[in-house]
Amino acid sequence: MLRRQDIIFGGVTLILAAASFFIVRSITINHAPKTVMANIEARIVQGAGGWNACYHNRVFGPRAGAARRANPDSIISSMAYDLSDGPVRISGEVWPQYWSLSLYQQNSDNYFVVNDRQLPTPNFDFVIVQKGAKETSLMGTQIISPTDKGIMLIRRFAAQKSDMPAIIDNQTALYCGPA
Amino acid sequence: MKSHVILLFAPAIIIAAGFGGRSITTAELNDQYSIFDDFEQTDSLWLFSDKIGAASASGVERAKVAIAGPLGLSSQEAVYFVAVVDNEGRALTSACEYRVTGGVIDARWWSLTLYDSETQHYVPNVINRSSWNSVAIPRADNGNWDITISQTPQDDTWLPSHVGEGRAFELNLRVYNPSDVTRARLLNIELPDVERTSC
Repeated sequence: MLRRQDIIFGGVTLILAAASFFIVRSITINHAPKTVMANIEARIVQGAGGWNACYHNRVFGPRAGAARRANPDSIISSMAYDLSDGPVRISGEVWPQYWSLSLYQQNSDNYFVVNDRQLPTPNFDFVIVQKGAKETSLMGTQIISPTDKGIMLIRRFAAQKSDMPAIIDNQTALYCGPA
Repeated sequence: MKSHVILLFAPAIIIAAGFGGRSITTAELNDQYSIFDDFEQTDSLWLFSDKIGAASASGVERAKVAIAGPLGLSSQEAVYFVAVVDNEGRALTSACEYRVTGGVIDARWWSLTLYDSETQHYVPNVINRSSWNSVAIPRADNGNWDITISQTPQDDTWLPSHVGEGRAFELNLRVYNPSDVTRARLLNIELPDVERTSC
């Protein structure tokens, strides 16, 4: 025969166990995108030689070591940025077949994207700045990053292998670094 | 007496529930098809999501996409369609051959990529091809095109699947800068047909 006290203790234990389950589940869900971002940033930093520097894929078509479900028709330049030492600049020229610049905050959301047809000229000059920072003296179009760290991707459409030499020239002319 | 037993085991039960929450959630997020759980069914065999990279995605949607398809573009720039079954609803497998046929998609460009469902990566193959795009693909005069998916080499527009025992694969159709007309009816635009031709 269960006493009232036993039922209360048992009930409280079950409630705490359920709370433990759902709290840990919530933490796991919220943490997963940040872990993925940190892993990708580490790979970009390794390839580029540091934060706030660009790493260029120069291989046409499918390649080993690409991200899961990567698009082989898109030739990517990537940068892991860290704004703790100040704004970061990306400038260069678009790629006419298709070009886009996209920015990802630490929870993996794509918070900014622009393509070549949306720009007034083939040349671009963007500066990523910290949220709340006022950078009135800097030239270029400012983009406010919701988080201090994040990832920048430039995609260029390579329809065929013969596009690669011009794409590599376009990559080489790209500046990624302190503003 | 029973209260003492409950008190003795309560911390272990609560901690075990926490570990259970972690392992069950991790398995759910890493399941090979879980990224598609929240995709919508179009009028055809294709699945669609406008939550890739979106701030409006739920925590679970964001985590699944981050794990299985990170750094996608938001639907403002590109839209993603996925096929894991043929036009009769049978799972796509490298044990069978398929003919994919399509026409003009009203967008700036598109690409169709084949991924191994288990690894979620390209399938290694002798011609190093995992995709066809809207510019490179040979077309008929009316703009229609077709692709053969098979293990064995084909003379025409071939998309190689895994050689050896049958493995599940998926097709990912990325549509960049869709027109306003296309964007307004993404769930019922005309998308490629995937027909099983032999097994």
